[in-house]
Amino acid sequence: MGKEKTNTNNAFVSALKKSNMTAIGVVLLLMIVIASIASPYFLDIYNLQSLIRDLAFIGMIGIAQSLLLLIGELDLSVGKIASLCGILAGMMMVNYSINPWLSLAIALCLGILFGFINGMIITKLRLNSMVATIGMQGVYGGINLVLTKGKAITGIPEDIYILGKGNLGPIPFPFIFCIIVLIFILFMIKKTKTGRYIYAIGNSREAAKILGIKVDKIRVMIYSIVGFISSLAGILYVARLGSSQSAIGENWPMNSIAASVIGGVSLTGGIGNPAGALIGAAIISIIQNMIVLFGVNVYWQSAVSGIVVVIAISFSSISEIMQERKQRKIKLG
Amino acid sequence: MKMLEAHNITKLFPGVVALDSVDVSFEPSEIHCIIGENGAGKSTLIKCLTGVYEPEEGEVLINGDDATKNKALFDKVAYVPQEIDLFGDMSVAENLFLPYKKSGIKGIVNQKELEKKAVPLLKKFRIPVKPDELVKDISVSSQQLLQIARATVHKEYEILMLDEPTTSLTTSDTQVLFEIIKRVKEENKAVIFISHKLEEIFALGDVLTVFRNGKKVAYAKLEEIDIPWVIKKMTGRELNQKQIFRSSKVSDEVLLEVNNLTGERFTNVSFTLKKGEILGFSGLVGAGRSELMQAIFGYLPIYSGEVKLDGEQWKLGDTNFSVKHGLIYLPEERKKQGILPVLSIKENISVSVLDELKNGISISKKKESDIARKVINTYDIKTPDADKAIQFLSGGNQQKVIIGRSMCCDPKVLVFDEPTKGIDVGTKAEIYRLMKELAEEKGIGIILISSEMEEIKKCSNRIIALYEGKKVGEYDSQEDKEVILSAIIGVNS
Repeated sequence: MGKEKTNTNNAFVSALKKSNMTAIGVVLLLMIVIASIASPYFLDIYNLQSLIRDLAFIGMIGIAQSLLLLIGELDLSVGKIASLCGILAGMMMVNYSINPWLSLAIALCLGILFGFINGMIITKLRLNSMVATIGMQGVYGGINLVLTKGKAITGIPEDIYILGKGNLGPIPFPFIFCIIVLIFILFMIKKTKTGRYIYAIGNSREAAKILGIKVDKIRVMIYSIVGFISSLAGILYVARLGSSQSAIGENWPMNSIAASVIGGVSLTGGIGNPAGALIGAAIISIIQNMIVLFGVNVYWQSAVSGIVVVIAISFSSISEIMQERKQRKIKLG
Repeated sequence: MKMLEAHNITKLFPGVVALDSVDVSFEPSEIHCIIGENGAGKSTLIKCLTGVYEPEEGEVLINGDDATKNKALFDKVAYVPQEIDLFGDMSVAENLFLPYKKSGIKGIVNQKELEKKAVPLLKKFRIPVKPDELVKDISVSSQQLLQIARATVHKEYEILMLDEPTTSLTTSDTQVLFEIIKRVKEENKAVIFISHKLEEIFALGDVLTVFRNGKKVAYAKLEEIDIPWVIKKMTGRELNQKQIFRSSKVSDEVLLEVNNLTGERFTNVSFTLKKGEILGFSGLVGAGRSELMQAIFGYLPIYSGEVKLDGEQWKLGDTNFSVKHGLIYLPEERKKQGILPVLSIKENISVSVLDELKNGISISKKKESDIARKVINTYDIKTPDADKAIQFLSGGNQQKVIIGRSMCCDPKVLVFDEPTKGIDVGTKAEIYRLMKELAEEKGIGIILISSEMEEIKKCSNRIIALYEGKKVGEYDSQEDKEVILSAIIGVNS
């Protein structure tokens, strides 16, 4: 009997989460309107371009993270994988004079490898994903420091700058990559067998195994995809800065989780849509942009952005609480 | 003097009348049983009587006072839920006295003192555990009893409400529980006993109230009625309790052969299953029946031994292989291991056959809807549409979805693990009929694990008894109930 109740609640939440996609879209529009009224510089093309360039990175990582959240797991090493791949690409190009495009391709493959390693460790040793990736981010970050001694790698060939700094028409290149990633992931999630299995695993890992789904294989595959996307974001960021730095991706783990949650992806698995994570990422980027536009004191920026993110995350649960109250009122007449 | 009364209670949910002008009263020194099919309104009634729901109309009186106005009165109702609801990582004694405020323990909690206070209670309820053991380490039976003991710790309780308390109890523990309940009755308390098991109701109860579709349809003294009468009131139709559901087309061909299988919870088990046969596995909770089948299926590890299907060596430890090659396990824990709760009925069906639904790389929406519709029609699943989340179906209909989707994989062997757990009498018969049909028409070998002796006897062509992970007997369906019962409790072994 108790279970029935929680089940109803879950379903209730899931129904809400579905409608949340539109709700969160409306919130995004409102924020754009408010931002453009509040600051004359917001709609400035250069501001928008830099905003969208920022958004592309949180968006890409957010989409990757939402995949893991869908199976009820997460990866806190995404930022360190990104910066390590950026460093490795940089070293290949600068220190070993390898063809820049080949270097990038190798770095992408290494990203897949790092994700694969995460996945193997987590599934074979039966570790909790959060704890394991806290450990692994230390490993990747450590290798990073050993290789660079903390110094940035400069002198990256200008050929690749276009990937990070360039635009296609008015649209920044990283954002185009972000949309391509989204389209691929959405196709996989919504149309293919693998996608359906991902939701099945997120609903109940035990039931999925009893259905004959190769649960661990799919989990490892998702970690590898996440590694690939992290690495892609990392090398695009190197192209944007024109140098490889260990500091790349510092806030990505937290921002990507926040973006997913704002976008209606459940932390316990099985509920949500990666497109929501992109909208969540847009909201976070606008918040950060407005903080800069309003000239908030540098020392306060992090605190203010944190507070606003917490408020944004609360949107979905606040609307849940409101709905529950409303339901109770209807029931009690 | 009536202890607990519900007057003319009506409870509405959007679109449904869950309770329709229900009058029911409970008296001291009386065991009042409540029965009804799933969805008949029992749970809603319980929630109204324990103050969880407020009814739209009517009143709940406790000792003559309106409890909806004075919520503290609901403290007099000690409610024991169906599912085990204990803190696994805390000790027996701690669980017994939580919440401390209710059991009158104030200030700093002295562990030793708690444990001392727990001893007489454990004795009274005959729970064979030490007060400092962790709850997760004691048997399911003991947990169930502990949960009941906990409800009675609260000093002021006058009404004990038990919601299907015997689902995870062994036969002998059920007897213990019944003695305890009788003693509670002698202490001048009112007992409310909710159960699907008719034998238990007749063995224990004084009076019976039957619910159907949110209405109270009958009330009677149990000594004046019999089982067919109850079933008729409950389902609104006659149901032949004596009906047998054994397969009539058992072939001589051996389908599944298990030799000397040993795993964590079972030792050296051998048996064969023929085509078109229903093979029953009887045993107590924890006898290793589910573990044995899950191991054959590939979900749990096997230490030694071999399995052959159709004479060919079976690959062990791979559920994917098992499903693909025609061995399917239908779990007892339907909510946790069977359904994918948030996904729709359609997606729950198609997930087992996605390979056949593909157009190139993507899943064809049309093919998916077609197969879902086919399964819903063939297995008579009652739902307005296939896009509804499966968690909203009743247990019986969820079970039918699971059977239907398993049949899409063309199985050779189906393992039903407690297929009718929590399912009402009417739907139970439907599930039995389905098993019989599958065995007879498709020649499927069926393994039935069940704790209900009646169910095993009614459906199985052959019965294997397990005790503490060992096979202790093999019987044909005509064997006396008593012989099988003594085997599964370890007598003569």
